[in-house]
Amino acid sequence: MLITIIEKNMAQMKNNIKVLRAEKGITQEELADKVNVTRQTIIAIEKNKYIPSLELAYKISLFFNKKIEEIFKYS
Amino acid sequence: MSYKSFKIARILIAAFIAMTVSIAVSTNNAYLAVSAVLIGMIVMFLVKKNVKAVLVDEMVKNIAGKSALMAYSITVPVLALLSLIFMFSNLGNEGSYFYNLGIIFSYIALFNMAVYSFAYYYYRKKYGSDEE
Repeated sequence: MLITIIEKNMAQMKNNIKVLRAEKGITQEELADKVNVTRQTIIAIEKNKYIPSLELAYKISLFFNKKIEEIFKYS
Repeated sequence: MSYKSFKIARILIAAFIAMTVSIAVSTNNAYLAVSAVLIGMIVMFLVKKNVKAVLVDEMVKNIAGKSALMAYSITVPVLALLSLIFMFSNLGNEGSYFYNLGIIFSYIALFNMAVYSFAYYYYRKKYGSDEE
């Protein structure tokens, strides 16, 4: 039941990290190094399969110099 | 050390342990097996310490947590059920192999539950309580 709710929420959470990364011209590995996670985590976040913690979301937003709500969208 | 080198080192350590343990088994040498495993663990610890890349992050911990919960949720009921089957099917034969196996399974299930309860209590205290 709980897993179903989390998975439903995952489908509603979107982000534009891939676009921002392309604009900045950096690879998934470079972003992963900058925010201290594995490349697999960045891949999962970009595919909306994993919702990052608030701390990681802040780290990503600080790296791209944008507000969290400009990167992560909840609909 | 990069992540790629770490992966190679991990494979080499696993191969070393597997080879040495198989030699130890074939030569019936328990000391060789134990020392191989211990050396492997120490080398692995030293290798992990020198890795610059991130090996464990929040997603890995999240997955590990979910996997641990699933393993616990499967293991404990299965062990409890097996222990009941083994014990009740050998009620008139208390000293038998299967009866004792049932008792061992029930103790393992209880030990698992105790560890889970202790860990749950610890993390509940650590990350929050009912107090405002």
